[in-house]
Amino acid sequence: MTVPTARLESVAERPIALTPSSRREQAATVWYHLRKNPLVLVGLIIVIVWVLISLLAPTLAPFDPLQQDVSNRLQRPALFDSSQETDEEVTDATTHLLGTDELGRDILTRLLYGGRITIPAGIAVIIFGSIVGTLIGSLAGYLGGMWDEVFMRITELFMAFPTIILALAVTAALGSDIRNAIIALVVVWWPNYARLVRGLVLEVKTQDYVEAVRAIGAPGYYILLRTILPNSFAPAVVLATLDIGNAILVFAGLSFLGLGPEPSSPEWGKMVSIGIDFFDQWWMWLFPGIAIASLVMAFNFIGDGMRDILDPRTR
Amino acid sequence: MLHVRRGVLFSLLMALVLLGGLVTGAVAQDEQVLVIGHAEITDSYDPANGFTQTTGIVNRATYQTLVTFPDADASEILPLLATDWTISEDGTQYTFNLREGVTFSNGDPLTADDVVFSMKRLQNVNGNPSFLADPIVDVVADDDMTVTFTLESVRPSFLAELANTVFSITNADEVRANGGTDAADAEETDTAEDYLNQNSAGTGPYILESWTPQEETVLVRNPNYWGEDLPFFDRVLIVNIPEAATQKVALESGDIDLATDLSPDQVAELADNPDISVFIGPGNIHHFLIMNADPEIGGPVSDPLVQRAIRLALDYDGYTDLWEGSIQPGSDLAFGLAGAFGPDQALSRDLDTARELLAEAGFPDGFDIVMTYPDLTFGGIPFATNAQKIQADLAEVGINVELNPQDFQIALEEYREGDQGFGYWLWGPDINDPADLLSFMPGGKVAGERLNWNDDNAPPEIVALRDQFAVESDPERRLELVAEIQTALQETSPTAPFNQPAVQIAFRSDIEGFVWHPQWLLDVALLSRVG
Amino acid sequence: MIPLLFGISLVAFLIANAIPADPINANLPPNALNDEELIAAFRAKWGLDEPLHVQYITYITNVLQGDMGTSIKTRKPVADDIRQFLPATIELATLSIVIGLTMGISFGVISAVWQNTVVDYFVRVFALIGVSFPVFLLALIGLTIFHSELGLVGGPGRLDFIVRDPPKVTGLFTVDALLDGDFDKFRNALSHLILPSFVLGMFVSGIIARITRSSLLEVLNMDYMRTARSKGLSERVVVIRHGLSNALIPVVTIIGLSFGNLLAGAVLTESIFAWPGIGRYMFRASTAQDFPAIMGISMLIAVIYVIVNFVVDILYYFIDPRIRVA
Repeated sequence: MTVPTARLESVAERPIALTPSSRREQAATVWYHLRKNPLVLVGLIIVIVWVLISLLAPTLAPFDPLQQDVSNRLQRPALFDSSQETDEEVTDATTHLLGTDELGRDILTRLLYGGRITIPAGIAVIIFGSIVGTLIGSLAGYLGGMWDEVFMRITELFMAFPTIILALAVTAALGSDIRNAIIALVVVWWPNYARLVRGLVLEVKTQDYVEAVRAIGAPGYYILLRTILPNSFAPAVVLATLDIGNAILVFAGLSFLGLGPEPSSPEWGKMVSIGIDFFDQWWMWLFPGIAIASLVMAFNFIGDGMRDILDPRTR
Repeated sequence: MLHVRRGVLFSLLMALVLLGGLVTGAVAQDEQVLVIGHAEITDSYDPANGFTQTTGIVNRATYQTLVTFPDADASEILPLLATDWTISEDGTQYTFNLREGVTFSNGDPLTADDVVFSMKRLQNVNGNPSFLADPIVDVVADDDMTVTFTLESVRPSFLAELANTVFSITNADEVRANGGTDAADAEETDTAEDYLNQNSAGTGPYILESWTPQEETVLVRNPNYWGEDLPFFDRVLIVNIPEAATQKVALESGDIDLATDLSPDQVAELADNPDISVFIGPGNIHHFLIMNADPEIGGPVSDPLVQRAIRLALDYDGYTDLWEGSIQPGSDLAFGLAGAFGPDQALSRDLDTARELLAEAGFPDGFDIVMTYPDLTFGGIPFATNAQKIQADLAEVGINVELNPQDFQIALEEYREGDQGFGYWLWGPDINDPADLLSFMPGGKVAGERLNWNDDNAPPEIVALRDQFAVESDPERRLELVAEIQTALQETSPTAPFNQPAVQIAFRSDIEGFVWHPQWLLDVALLSRVG
Repeated sequence: MIPLLFGISLVAFLIANAIPADPINANLPPNALNDEELIAAFRAKWGLDEPLHVQYITYITNVLQGDMGTSIKTRKPVADDIRQFLPATIELATLSIVIGLTMGISFGVISAVWQNTVVDYFVRVFALIGVSFPVFLLALIGLTIFHSELGLVGGPGRLDFIVRDPPKVTGLFTVDALLDGDFDKFRNALSHLILPSFVLGMFVSGIIARITRSSLLEVLNMDYMRTARSKGLSERVVVIRHGLSNALIPVVTIIGLSFGNLLAGAVLTESIFAWPGIGRYMFRASTAQDFPAIMGISMLIAVIYVIVNFVVDILYYFIDPRIRVA
């Protein structure tokens, strides 16, 4: 007995078919759906804000993210602490709106810088994961037969490992830094894309225009690269967008466990994990935790809305 | 209808679960139990193999030594399993008369054979603490209750060393029956460690009931304890709680009675809590950087100029600000031991000289280096916090440090094998005597074995000082030499001692009899509960 | 099923082989490292001198005989460790699945029945926010509020430290305490179990809610539903008897698929709640480069994965009449 793939696919994200239509029509539809799905809009705005913050962090941040100030360590967030207003020692230059950490670094500054690591890491996982997955999936779908069987068995095999467990094993083998954390996540991420793209390729393969290209004697690689892949790529990109939130969440989880960025780097998961040693200083772990949640939530809002728009059955 | 019922079932279950969760029942206990929250660092409870702080606490309760210290300090030598002793004229032979009526936890009587076996096994298994037995040339049972130790040379600190739990007396028959041997080839043939990790074979007031590494250690009252002062608690649980924050929460809620690893910040917060008492006292463990003297392993930090530059680049005052009650030690000799340099005689930060030294060593723009350290919190101080400060301090002179936190055991193995280039560790004195400094001198346990700083690559003056100090027995001359050595090591050595934290222990106010000890840290047999 | 198991063991084996630790240093006690005979025996047993594929076959042969090697971190046979740590995870996972299903299905049904109303909207947003929260943040907030501040639930660990384990029958503390007739202990175990289970249950409830909603919506628009309504049955009966029973089919599948999610979440949850289960064991093994343990856990998880999916297939058979006919 093998794991019933068909059954898995019946509930996995359904392949999304973008029906061809004119640009203007598409734009109108998009606007219509955005208005009907304000969550997507909210998600988009949050993501854009975080991206802007990350890009502008050096200008926005009041301090240097690595600058330590031991005499001002573990300060409560000035934002929530009215007692500080009467405290004469606190001058504007040293006001820490979200407090300071165990070495006196400004939490707000580190929060603003955090996206510079997390967002690219999440995107890198998705990009490399989808490239590997698309390659394997399209080869499996295009070659078919025994190759299909072999590739899909391998894919299934990787899916049997829970994400973090496999990632833990990979980081144990490679050592722990950001690059290896990303590699570990790519290793666990590609199978989803392989399965999706294989399904699409199988569908596209039988389309008339592919048959037509084949009929005029185009070589196999040409058919795969020029006709099949471009037509299966769009859905993979859509899946990727839906997936970024998840990738960020898992990356933060790895980083929280101590695998990934080094201890001093202003990365959200890392900040939470260091904050646990200072449980009573809740601002050390709560704010970076909420930062992760807000970004992931934004991506999930977008993803959920897009699923609605593209899969009318659940509307 | 099946599905409807299933739904109802789920709801019922949920309700039940919620109800249960809301009623947190304290379970009635007839026996007296002491629960200690502790960040466990140990690799063995076999006295001949284990040599960490946790091992000290546990083995102090399960084993006993020939002689011991007073409860609270190391000021004098007191009899324990030996009632009295004589020292030969030339100072190299110690003859001990054993106490009558002492029994092991299984009821066997203590005899001279057990003492001989324990000492020879310690020497021959070549475990981590075995080096302490190196000065012993021979141990002989003169009769059933008399033992004579022969030393290789005069050793003023010998009795103080014998008080270390490493020299615990184990039941020879029981250890032999479980694979132990004291034969010369014990290093290969002794297999008793596994047994001694789960059972104790000593004369102490407690016996080891079980040890689940990284989870908990359970001690129970020794039914055959020979002493007159029976301990108060029937069971002692030493629960591994690595995070200081969790220890604090558990202590506040009364889940644990005593927390050994609270941070200074947390202890300050607990000061107002009437349910909790706090002990703060001078510690004897210091934190330091290691810089391997072998260029192949240490790279740039093997250069004595770079080593000195790093010593001058550290922001010492910053670390004392960071950890309330801590001090800057003047050397690797724990401040508090006779002759040790304290904050007054310690180095001060001097970034300009540090930069000049780096330039002189050929690194005007600094260099990149990886710093390895064990990822743990000890005595409430997370290594990660100090490591990040070290990174920031060294960045100011252009040294770009990449932090490499490692699992404790993995990092320790690399460090002990002498394979670590640049690292951050802590050290507690092996012996409560200035002679402890020998570990940090050429060929010593840290400097030689772990950092490859030996007679061939260390300055001859320092090697000469070491040789003088090792044999000097005149107390005053010894102290002069200790001062000279510390001054020399501040100039040239492969370590950078930077902080010596205070001891901070918090416990429930109904716990009485708490005493801190510089050697075994905590004697659980002295504790009791009032009310 | 069997090829999948072998494939998984092969992947685990290859990853473990890439770990830069010396198997001899790792597996033999330090005092055996000078004993040439012992080392030779160890090399022979695990085929360390042989090429990789022979080593793999040796490993599998040893595993089939119940010998998974010795953990570096705990110095005990991996099989013993698994026996010790697995029940804690099973207990946690079971209650989490129950909580996740209850919350997920309720939300899904509410959402579908009141489709496109304010209720639907709120439930969906709530579920979306729920799945966006990192498990570790939920755990920390939960601990702060329910343990530190309110004292409603137990803290880290499976029991209060002072409470001794119930006599081992199943290894599930709640069940064992009940079997022992010790209700205080049962309450204590439950008070420790409830918070991590909720945190982990939240983690899987989001996806269950989503699947329940979409599949129920699909079913509600089917012809036979219209027939049922036209027969004059109340909407509640229609939804529950006809709708939900059919809509649950994909949900059953999700239980199988959520299993992986659950274990991933368990690594984080168990680490924070000091829950002595397989997730924390795996995490510690990976930081300690404890490859015998990593390999053992990977094998174990693969086996569980296959078993869970096998059970789901059987459930399918009972729930979905179409399969029975075919």
